[in-house]
Amino acid sequence: MAAETPNITGLTLQNGQFQLNFDPFPATVEYQLQQAASPELPFAGNGPGLLGNFVWSALPVTGSEGFYRVVAQTLSPDELLGATLLSRIAYGPTPDEQARVRTVGPAAYIEEQLAPENIQEDLDHAAFVPTWHKVTASGLGTASAVFIYVDGAGEAFLDDVRLVEGPTDDGTQPNLLRDGDFETALGSDWLISTNLVGSALTPDVQHGGDLSLHVISTAAGTTTSSSIYQNILPALSKTKTYTLSYWYLTSATETAQLTVRLSGSGIVTKIPLKDPNASPAPIFTSLTAGTATINDLRAWHVLHAVQSRQQLAEVLRQFWENHFVTEYTKEHDYFNNAGLDSNSAGQIATQLEFAENIRWRDAMRKPQCTFYDLLRISAESPAMIIYLDTVGSRGNGSNIANENYGRELCELFTLGVDNGYDQADIVQISRVWTGWSIRLVANDQVGNPFAPTTTNYLDPNAITNKTAVTNLIGTWAFNYKSASHNTTQKKIFFQHDSAGNATTPKLVPARFGQPWAGRDYSLVIPAGSGTNSIQEGYTLLAHMANQPFAEEFISVKLCRLFVHDGFAIGYDFTDGQTTPEEELVHACMLAWENPPNGGPKGQLRDVLRVIFNSELFRSNSGSLQKIKTPLEFNVSVVRALRGRNGDGSFTATTDGYGLLAALSRMGRMLLFDRMEPNGYPEDGPAWISAGTLAERLRFVQAALMPAGMTGKSDAGTATMIDPVALLRLKAPASLGDAGAVADYFLGLLFPAEGTANLAAFRAITINFLNTDDAGAASPLSGLTPGTSPYDLRVRGAVALLLTTQRFEEQ
Amino acid sequence: MNVITRRTFLSHTARLGLGTALATLTDIPFVLQRALADGSIGLTGPDGRVKKLLFIFLRGANDGLNTLLPFGDDAYAAPNRQTILIGKDPAQPVDTKGQALFPVSGQTTGTFDYANGLPLGNGFAALHPALKFLAPVYNAGDLALVHRVGYPKQSRSHFDSQNYWETGAPNNNLVSDGILYRAMVESGLANSLPLTGVSIASSLPLILRGSNAAMTNLSDPTRYNLLAVPNTPAGNLKADAALAAANRARFADKRDRELLTLQYQNLASTLDIFAQMDFSETGNTFVDDENTDGDQPYYLFPTTNAKNGGYARNSDTGKYVVPAAAYGHFQNLKAASLVLNKTSAIVAGVSIDGWDTHGNQGGANGAQAGLLRRVGWSIYAARKYFTKYADKCKWDDLVIVTLSEFGRTTVENSDGGTDHAEASVMFVAGGGVKGFQADPLGGVKRSGVFNCGGDSDPIPWQTGANGTMFQATGRYLKRNTDYRSVLGKLIRDHLGATQPQLNRIIPGYADPTESLLTRGTQTRDQTAVIGEPDLV
Repeated sequence: MAAETPNITGLTLQNGQFQLNFDPFPATVEYQLQQAASPELPFAGNGPGLLGNFVWSALPVTGSEGFYRVVAQTLSPDELLGATLLSRIAYGPTPDEQARVRTVGPAAYIEEQLAPENIQEDLDHAAFVPTWHKVTASGLGTASAVFIYVDGAGEAFLDDVRLVEGPTDDGTQPNLLRDGDFETALGSDWLISTNLVGSALTPDVQHGGDLSLHVISTAAGTTTSSSIYQNILPALSKTKTYTLSYWYLTSATETAQLTVRLSGSGIVTKIPLKDPNASPAPIFTSLTAGTATINDLRAWHVLHAVQSRQQLAEVLRQFWENHFVTEYTKEHDYFNNAGLDSNSAGQIATQLEFAENIRWRDAMRKPQCTFYDLLRISAESPAMIIYLDTVGSRGNGSNIANENYGRELCELFTLGVDNGYDQADIVQISRVWTGWSIRLVANDQVGNPFAPTTTNYLDPNAITNKTAVTNLIGTWAFNYKSASHNTTQKKIFFQHDSAGNATTPKLVPARFGQPWAGRDYSLVIPAGSGTNSIQEGYTLLAHMANQPFAEEFISVKLCRLFVHDGFAIGYDFTDGQTTPEEELVHACMLAWENPPNGGPKGQLRDVLRVIFNSELFRSNSGSLQKIKTPLEFNVSVVRALRGRNGDGSFTATTDGYGLLAALSRMGRMLLFDRMEPNGYPEDGPAWISAGTLAERLRFVQAALMPAGMTGKSDAGTATMIDPVALLRLKAPASLGDAGAVADYFLGLLFPAEGTANLAAFRAITINFLNTDDAGAASPLSGLTPGTSPYDLRVRGAVALLLTTQRFEEQ
Repeated sequence: MNVITRRTFLSHTARLGLGTALATLTDIPFVLQRALADGSIGLTGPDGRVKKLLFIFLRGANDGLNTLLPFGDDAYAAPNRQTILIGKDPAQPVDTKGQALFPVSGQTTGTFDYANGLPLGNGFAALHPALKFLAPVYNAGDLALVHRVGYPKQSRSHFDSQNYWETGAPNNNLVSDGILYRAMVESGLANSLPLTGVSIASSLPLILRGSNAAMTNLSDPTRYNLLAVPNTPAGNLKADAALAAANRARFADKRDRELLTLQYQNLASTLDIFAQMDFSETGNTFVDDENTDGDQPYYLFPTTNAKNGGYARNSDTGKYVVPAAAYGHFQNLKAASLVLNKTSAIVAGVSIDGWDTHGNQGGANGAQAGLLRRVGWSIYAARKYFTKYADKCKWDDLVIVTLSEFGRTTVENSDGGTDHAEASVMFVAGGGVKGFQADPLGGVKRSGVFNCGGDSDPIPWQTGANGTMFQATGRYLKRNTDYRSVLGKLIRDHLGATQPQLNRIIPGYADPTESLLTRGTQTRDQTAVIGEPDLV
């Protein structure tokens, strides 16, 4: 811990006692009032008086003459840094990662995350392991029959069904159902309707004993005539509460839902059979097969963000995807207009988005990956070629090259707006890209930019269809069409006279200082034609990628991502006036320019290491100074409560798909599909307003709802968060203690705030836990864990904390 | 070291008192606060109503030359515009003086096939055929079209240029709040009325952003309420109350914490208003009061196929008044109209995206035409809604204005598109707008066309290969009007700002070298401008 002295804002005399007001200090775990007889002597002690809400009150007037100061005992630097790391280089902490970073230390975590290739993990090929899950529900004994059925054709495995009297099942009450453990033959105790006639007991899987019930449904069930059912003897009391519980086995693929219920509506459970702990592996399979939709790609991306231990790699994959932004819809429309049906066009567009994303991921797994490596992938990506219109751009003859890509290459992808280029440069640069197009080529020709159109047909006998794009087999790939290329000499980054003629080379402005100022950064590309002229593009990219303008702009963007929004291009590095932000950008640029470990310029890990090691990043000036984007927010909600159970299941899960609609509603964050080429904003004001906050709050509440509650769909019906399960896992002793429950979740959700600053939240949370819905006192300790009232109380309290302003921050 | 002793107790309490007074300026009583402001923005007029503004942001940069067509310029021709050129109707010579043509033909699809420019009766300019539904608005004198709008040292970056339009401070990246935000703050009502500026969009645009008062955005009014875990009325109230308590908790200063507090407060103070309003489709079905285009009356806000022009009767997509992709926009426009009519909001806005037509821009049909259809029908429908249906905000109380960050190249590129350029067009519509007016003695008293030929063109449009279309360095239309002069005119003379207020809302007004008020030369790039067009 470190000791700091907060600002004292006032000292007043009230009712014969002094009261001292002070400002909250970041990351404080304890405030102390220290005293000294004179300012030169050491301050010590704690008190007298009372502390509350940043006011030290009830200081007696007599007997306490002297000098006072408030001391804030703050988090240790490692604690603060650990918390910052998990909210910036990861999509928020999980309970397990939070514990692990405390153990290994932040320095080791940084180095681990910088080298994802060494983190053993393969989510995309993980085999699915079905797990048994328990469902419990209580209600009145409305009628004396139990129904088991599926809401359509489908299969389920079920075991150990219990129905007991009382609001909870502690395991000692008698089971009111006969053969609830499914160990004796069906047909007597359990009766089977025709739509479930294939159902049987099976020894293949079981939760307890030797057998379980294998439900095989051909059609949806509703009641006795369409279910597996049992008449309960003796009859239940309509006025008594009963508890129904059972275990079911999750499935990788089953889309149907299982219902187990009492006749009438006393106790009804309906649960999706698909494993909520969705693996990205099946989606990856369809992505590589080219059959995935854009929502599949988005869900896959979100699942990686939630689940991967290579968190920094995931954060960076989103960052570069968003930096080199492309728009799925425009690509879809391109192929749709080319004659493909909408589904096929969507699959191809998805494949292009996926392909560039995988190329970036693979490039970043190389220790010396440079900015140029990523830039080149973007330039060659058919997604970009379509998105910014180089696909049809021609510069031959009198054709005027399309300027869309040339401009954004300068403004948004490399140099930064008006940073070292002007309109004349854009005209010249746009000519370089004429000919960079795409073509449907044979699958083995994807890497050949000069390949002809594929000649493989789906139906070789369909002579009349031979030119139809819908009948060709191949892959849409980058293709260079030299006939469209502008073959003139290009003089880029030159001054111009009033007639528009290039005169002298441009020089790096003085503001950059050494080693950059005064450098000639012009580029002359000689007249060229034929296939060799493809090289002009690569020459230009290599030239631009390591100009100081690019070093500055990309460093600024990385600092905005990892530190805070207050970085901009245009610093004067020579004027003697500096700020921590300017110094950090300058240090990033130097690491880019002079790689500390040798090798090429622009190695991204060098730049990131500078940021993560900076005082600005590690101090309170960096901590909690950013607002989460919708993606960061939604993923962090799931991760925050995602503890790993002993059986490999998790206390918080999502299928990925359920988060997508919420992303759209929170400010149209459509992954892989932004219309504007500047990418989604990183800064808070762009995302935070009443309408977007309403959606964030709704998402959290829906995510914390139990399955089946009205409104649950706002977070996706498969987004399951069970804070009580997390308590049982991590803090079982605290279940009945509202204060301990509050402390556990406050520490989990706001690790950088400091416990002393969370006193108000703590009081509000405890009050929430100890109050019923009508606002009357109802201590948590009086509720039984495992019952719905307890469950909803804790869910509500956690949702409250996740909807506060503080959880918007990272 | 932050040490306080009892010896400095008095001076600290004194300082504390002053600080408190300043910090709570926004909390002072409504009457007193209103008295601090001057002007009449947001004040109820003698008719019991408030002057309001609806803005439509055309993001992506609209090609003004293919919106308000300079037919009188022989440079508006192939090959400059090979594939995107809008043709002239031989039966309607452009030098005809009078009203705008509203084309009617005997074909089953009526005027929907009309592909020529609609002469606007000033002898020079014509309207893109996708805007044909604006002809009745124009002829009623409720529409002004301002060509050649831009600003000094025009940025050709979408994002810088949109920022400049929204902050009202071109080439100044230090101004970080929005022009309409400042107008609302100047009203003195921004912190006392729950709603002053509202954007119907997925996020709050810069034009309404600022740090001392929260403007509101919402994308779907029917979703603008909160859920809570128990999802019972009592339980949700408990959750709301707990969150309200959490919002009052003090924390150490951080970069975005004031923003969060302000916006959370705005959410809390606006939820009830929207909860009490009916935004449902069934409760808000608005139909035209006249037959459009020889058909039956159309729905004003096309949000489904069945409400899109004559489609429901003909199952003919050729009878759509807007593309089906525009339904989301018309949901938003309807919500914005309801908000202006039913709430305290003084300004509301929507945006139409997708104007960045670098390739396949299209001519009479195609990408840009589809977008223009949205604009044309939006203004047509808003006029009808505020005339026929609205009760608290009437058409005379409203001005609609469009914004777009820049225009596009005079000469088409190799992709059938146009690239980033300079000046473009603004639409200004409303019951009080000084648009077309026939002379009672015969002929035309006033045209609704500004800066595109005819009599109301104080800096005449130069025609030909070296003319206005090429005078901003080559392939770019040269501006003669600053967008700030258009917005400034509306904020002062329509919304009710005083000139000193306007000088704060648009700082350029305080600088005579900007020539925003009256005709002169903007000295930043030595370009002649007309000052304020006489729009309202």
